[in-house]
Amino acid sequence: MSPTEYHFRHAVSAFFEMNRDAAKALLPPHLEPFEPHHGLAVFAVTTFDFVKSEVGGYQEIVLAVITPPLVTSTGQWPRSAFYPFVVGTNTEASRLHAIERWHLPHYMADVSIDFDEGPEHVGIRVREAESPILDVTVRAHKWTRVDHLYQSFMFDRGKSFKSNIHMAGEFTEHEEEAGELAIHRHPMTERLLDADVETYPFRELWMKNGVQTFEGLETL
Amino acid sequence: MRPSRQQADEPGREREAADGAETPSAEAEEAESREDYALDYDYSNFFWGTGDDAFGVLGPFEEWFDIARPRGYYLFGMPMQTPPAARADVVETKDRQRLSGLINFASYNYLGLSHRPEVIEAAVEATRAYGTGASGSPILSGTMEIHEELARAIAEFKGQEEALLFPSGYSANVGIIAGLMRSGDLVVTDQYAHASIVDGIILSKANVRYFRHNSAADLERKLRDFGGRKLVILEGVYSMDGDLAALPEIVEVCKRNKTRIMIDEAHSAFLFGEHGRGIAEHFGLDEDIDIHFGTFSKTLGGQGGYVAGSHMLIKYLRGFARARVFSCALAPGVVGGLIKALEIVRTEPQLRRKLWDNVAYMQKCLKERGVDIGPSESQVIPIMIRDDDRIFEVAEDMIHAGVYLNPVRYPAVGKHRSRFRISVTAGHSRDDLREGADIIARVLERNGFL
Repeated sequence: MSPTEYHFRHAVSAFFEMNRDAAKALLPPHLEPFEPHHGLAVFAVTTFDFVKSEVGGYQEIVLAVITPPLVTSTGQWPRSAFYPFVVGTNTEASRLHAIERWHLPHYMADVSIDFDEGPEHVGIRVREAESPILDVTVRAHKWTRVDHLYQSFMFDRGKSFKSNIHMAGEFTEHEEEAGELAIHRHPMTERLLDADVETYPFRELWMKNGVQTFEGLETL
Repeated sequence: MRPSRQQADEPGREREAADGAETPSAEAEEAESREDYALDYDYSNFFWGTGDDAFGVLGPFEEWFDIARPRGYYLFGMPMQTPPAARADVVETKDRQRLSGLINFASYNYLGLSHRPEVIEAAVEATRAYGTGASGSPILSGTMEIHEELARAIAEFKGQEEALLFPSGYSANVGIIAGLMRSGDLVVTDQYAHASIVDGIILSKANVRYFRHNSAADLERKLRDFGGRKLVILEGVYSMDGDLAALPEIVEVCKRNKTRIMIDEAHSAFLFGEHGRGIAEHFGLDEDIDIHFGTFSKTLGGQGGYVAGSHMLIKYLRGFARARVFSCALAPGVVGGLIKALEIVRTEPQLRRKLWDNVAYMQKCLKERGVDIGPSESQVIPIMIRDDDRIFEVAEDMIHAGVYLNPVRYPAVGKHRSRFRISVTAGHSRDDLREGADIIARVLERNGFL
């Protein structure tokens, strides 16, 4: 499979500490949560504002648990890895594409994702019609250009998959604990409500004007 | 695809080869990519292995570390050729050059006791009397009279009924926590708790929750819905920011929630409070703390750790603190030196006054020069850089300019919360501090951080 590119205006991530057992319950049996501290796992919210892809422009939210990456002696070392346990988008075409090609689990109704960009922060509001799902704010630090490698794990009908994902573009990252998160009661977030997810991100990442490239799909 | 050791040791080779070829090979491109991004990775990326071989992660780690080490990781663990005094000679291990007379802001020797002649003499005398090692567990043959003498002296100094000695600070925290807490219990600790606290919790199998740094409100939230045995653990001085525990507020929360409280005074015992007992004395809360932990390796300039508290607590830990039970007792020479060092702390309060004068003077010098020292309230002063990509190059500049200080970057602190951590001591002169502040400011300025 040739690499698949998704060009984005914004890619915004925030990492939150959560209860380790709750994170494990979100993962398939062969994956373990990454533990930044004993007893804690990492919940990651990532939102994309895609401007160009095989299925046009669209917006996406990925709720994931961070896992240890597969580190090998060949190729670029992965920066981190994650298991998306639910993905939401604002177009049906984008959902069908990602389900068919990447085996990513989706919430099947349209969700709206608003990016409110200020000079030093970006606020994101995720809604289904009038029903709030999640609000997150991320602040900027120093901007640089990067090409980072991540790994995404997927699990679909008993089969395990992995894809290497490159994220290239303008990048800022910090752990100043300056951001905010509000999780609202909604089918996308119901498994997080009792997971002791912190209300502030310990790590905030923001990329602009870049390309997300899926190398291909490996069956594990 | 794996670069040879020679390539890894000579970072320019792959790039040169790639530049010289008409079309860079995939291998050369990969190597160049790894060169470019080496400092974007850290130990946390190589914690987990891949595949079924327990050694599977060793190769990738070695490949990364061989690239990353000359880019800055060599700055950790450089051998010192002198005592950890105000001025020190250090071997710079990248080019194997001796750097002499550096102003030493890297050592924990807060009162300069590790190299006091009378402390050294006491260590020598104890070694002559008892030999170089204790040759046994403290619960078997390893306890000597001087161990009991030191334990009594510590208990008396701390104003506690009894004390117990451990072979290191790390083993003391692990031994206390795992000795007392059990599966199903709850330990709540500050998010910046030292690794030895976390490892003690892991070994105890107790549940753990972390409260937001120094937030009594978050601590209360983390304690509220738990009905079983609970222990709160906090530090007196936090070793990365140099700020103090919010002890009065935290003690109140613990009282309201009927929770035992343990304080780690590694960086505060023998320094804070009218008599030097520590942060608990500083806040007038000695009686409200159930478990007093401290180390001998910092202010007392030796090695080891202790716990002080009630007779009942010590009696129990004597039997259940496995990190002590199954370790050899402290070397007699170390114990002899510690007894003398503690005597100096008791009889020379002017040393503490000198330290606090120096701390105030250094903070003033740094602030006057526009240096960001974060929230420090103690002898541990961070010099905030907030740039993980450049902290090592600035550290190289610092050490070659004449100051020895510790660079700190992720994962020891948060991403881009990198800083230098400096330790001010009573052994520094005003000239040392002024010159050190001048060098620090000059290096920061020429690197664009001022």
